[in-house]
Amino acid sequence: MRYILLVALNMPIIILGLFNIITQYKLKRVNKDRLTHQISLWSIILIILIGSFPAYNLLMGKAVFDSSELSLFDIFQTTAIIVIIYIINRQRQKIEQNEKTIRDLHQEVSIKLSETHGQN
Amino acid sequence: MSKAINVCIVIPAYNEGPVIRHVVENIGATMKQSKLNYTIVVINDGSNDDTAAQAAAGGAKVITHILNSGAGSATATGLSYANQNNFDYAVTMDADDQHLPKDVLAGIKIAQKSATDLLIGSRLLDSNGMSRVKVLGNKGLSFITYALFGINVTDSQSGLRVFSKNALENLRWKTSGYEFCSEMLWRAKQIHLHIAEYPITAVYTEYSKAKGQNNWNAVNIVKSLIRRRLIEVFE
Repeated sequence: MRYILLVALNMPIIILGLFNIITQYKLKRVNKDRLTHQISLWSIILIILIGSFPAYNLLMGKAVFDSSELSLFDIFQTTAIIVIIYIINRQRQKIEQNEKTIRDLHQEVSIKLSETHGQN
Repeated sequence: MSKAINVCIVIPAYNEGPVIRHVVENIGATMKQSKLNYTIVVINDGSNDDTAAQAAAGGAKVITHILNSGAGSATATGLSYANQNNFDYAVTMDADDQHLPKDVLAGIKIAQKSATDLLIGSRLLDSNGMSRVKVLGNKGLSFITYALFGINVTDSQSGLRVFSKNALENLRWKTSGYEFCSEMLWRAKQIHLHIAEYPITAVYTEYSKAKGQNNWNAVNIVKSLIRRRLIEVFE
């Protein structure tokens, strides 16, 4: 039941991550490589979440991996980490976009000013 | 009759007042003897000295960055200018007088003949005159470029590079400091540009030795490259 809760809580974030990158791609704001990369990233997170219960069953009882089941706190902590990954990812994309805008603006202003001032 | 090609010589410069005029005049004299149409553009990267005035006195077109933004950013501005003005080739060279004008001409000819998009003038194919410490630093950075980005070149940090029209139109990078040298190669590989190298001679004067990057700066470059590589794992 707890593993179902873990997947259920995180599924909307993963779908949001996938939806976000597909939208960016369709709007031609990112290239195909970045789309593939992001889809892989979110798919890996999804596979890890879905696979956590079977993996736990498989590993339980083996000396090194033997541990207690997920607590409710563990579930919320994992969800919080995935939310943070989503937020960091979004913010970094926005920062990079802003950096690019400032860089391009600086370049354009410098070129245009040199033409206006006729420094030749 | 074949159309004469237009070449833009891009020289990013930061506080190079003492030598920039000589560098511009030197390359200008060599280019004048060739049959190429050329423009020399000095990107004055927010210098505090008279770099802009000296470059203009030498006959260069000067584009001044309002803010000091780094070698990567200054180079990008120069190449953007070359792209906007439809140059067939752009050649970047250092402003500290370490590159020979004959190597610039040789690079343009090789790039034309071999249809190379990004031709790098390698100081390490023949490292005579370069100090052992600099050879070690440059080889180390080239190895790191290979390890991080899978690009095998002997001199990833060389300032003398020839860019084709295709490269001018499509090649962009994100870093603004000296780490752009390695990132640029990575971006070129990503967009499948044809990259090659040719041997050049670097001249080390007391001035260029004093101005050059030391190996501690290489540590900063490596840190920045690793950060950039890791960030893009999540992109």
